[in-house]
Amino acid sequence: MLEARQLMVFYENMLALNNVSIRCEENQIVGVFGANSAGKSTLMYTLSGIMEDIRKKEEMAGGERISVLGDITYLGEGIMGMKPSKRAKKGIVLCPERRRIFKECSVLENLRIGGYLATPAQAKDTLEYVFNVFPALQKLQKRIGGFLSGGEQQMLAIGRALMAQPKLLLLDEPLLGLSPLIQAVLVRATREIRDEMGISIIVTEQYARPVLPIVDYAFILENGTAVLEGTRDELMDNPDIRSAYFGIK
Amino acid sequence: MKESSDQRRKERLDRGIKVRSEGIYALMSWRELSYLFLPRVVLIGGLLILPLAMPSMYWQRVISIVCIYALLALSFDFLAHYVGLVSLGGAFFIGTGSYIAAILNTSFGLPPILTIPIATLLGAVICTVLLLPCLPLRGVYFAIVTLMYPLLLARVIEALDILGGTDGILGIESFANRWMEQYFIILMVLFLLFGTRRLVNQDIGLVFRAVKDNDQSVRASGISVTYYKTIAVFIASGIGCLAGAYLVHLYMWAGLSTLALDFSILPIAATVIGGSGTLVGPVLGAFILVPISELLRAFGTLRIVFYALILLGFIIFRSEGIMVYGQRKYHQFEKWIKV
Repeated sequence: MLEARQLMVFYENMLALNNVSIRCEENQIVGVFGANSAGKSTLMYTLSGIMEDIRKKEEMAGGERISVLGDITYLGEGIMGMKPSKRAKKGIVLCPERRRIFKECSVLENLRIGGYLATPAQAKDTLEYVFNVFPALQKLQKRIGGFLSGGEQQMLAIGRALMAQPKLLLLDEPLLGLSPLIQAVLVRATREIRDEMGISIIVTEQYARPVLPIVDYAFILENGTAVLEGTRDELMDNPDIRSAYFGIK
Repeated sequence: MKESSDQRRKERLDRGIKVRSEGIYALMSWRELSYLFLPRVVLIGGLLILPLAMPSMYWQRVISIVCIYALLALSFDFLAHYVGLVSLGGAFFIGTGSYIAAILNTSFGLPPILTIPIATLLGAVICTVLLLPCLPLRGVYFAIVTLMYPLLLARVIEALDILGGTDGILGIESFANRWMEQYFIILMVLFLLFGTRRLVNQDIGLVFRAVKDNDQSVRASGISVTYYKTIAVFIASGIGCLAGAYLVHLYMWAGLSTLALDFSILPIAATVIGGSGTLVGPVLGAFILVPISELLRAFGTLRIVFYALILLGFIIFRSEGIMVYGQRKYHQFEKWIKV
């Protein structure tokens, strides 16, 4: 479905992604694991096209020069250099790190803004579906986004991304700073979304253990380089990976 | 790997001489010393020669006006990019400084050498006290309040017919001669420019920049944000009041036009053109903008159109500003490399 080959991203002269190739098949959940500064968010920004936006802004302001090299194919079409809004229309939707919900809008408004690309009928269906997957949000519809708890905000962020009718959902650290209980809820919901809506998902995390049960295939990033890849079972068999990313001795 | 070998990217590297001249070793070679001193010498020398190079009294007068705007731009840049307060108070500072200097000169008979420093300090105190209520707030409030004060003062003066009313205060003493008039303000620009640059690199400047970045964290460190903002506003309004006091002695007249919006808006334009956050950029911006505006007088009413077009062009094509661009070209070089 999506294939990125030899992605290289430079922030000025610093290499943030070094020759990273990743792949996501139809109806798959792909995990990308790595420590801080491994390049996870850079990868997500590059795939979703936000990097193009950042690059342009930096250029205008005379900041650091960002170079993006490589090749991304999505549904048989090269999308390198395409604007993020256009990529969203094609179905690549990013749910950004730290949620970035609209803090002054209510839950319902947040979701409706997310549904900008959907037809009214689609929006209605998806809205129902979101409340179905995250029943907690149903009761909070009128609540202002900024007053939600971290977990509720994350649910809202995922819900908002779903409203844009994605074919490929990019979840950037969805479990950041959440309690194990909420993490379990979100992980379960992620699998449900894949199973019921047929959306492919790429999810990044620092600590792989909570999401590991649901990923089909995973990549390990280290300092901008993809050091290892494999199916869940293959990675589990690697003792170094087990202790470093899964916390299992 | 083979595929990517024909891809190229432009690499930006610091010049060797920049790296060498950063440490104390710069003192060991003339080349490195001159690398450090050249931009500063050009600026200082250029400003000092400027009055001599001007063809007529008219253009010398323009230089004085430019310096006034340069001071205002400096004060704007300092407040906006080092303390995080967007000030539209150029007119407020100029007005306060000029009316104080005018009163001191006409009612108390003090010479310019006394009125200017007194107006600077007193004006800064008055401006700071009047702006104090909105300093604990974040957001646009400071900008709005600084914009409202000059409007308010102008109407008060007009309605109550105090301080000369609409006629203004006349008969103010001028400088002893035009060279003193020119060099006083040029030296002041240089002194305040290098002074502010020094200031923002001191400990107190560190606190200022921290306030700009995240005032909650600063507060959590046990530092009073309002106190530091007050100091910053005192410094910035002092710079503005100095310019105002000088303006009064230049024009030998203080009136409502010292509270005009030009003094608030033009410094911002100069900052955008010169490169915000560089301090020297806004000064250069004023030296570009004000003369352009004078040259465009030939076009009559179309002046503002051309002026706006120049500004627009700068913002679209060089929104980083001249100084940011220039510094980068001076310190760094670029080359294509294969990845």
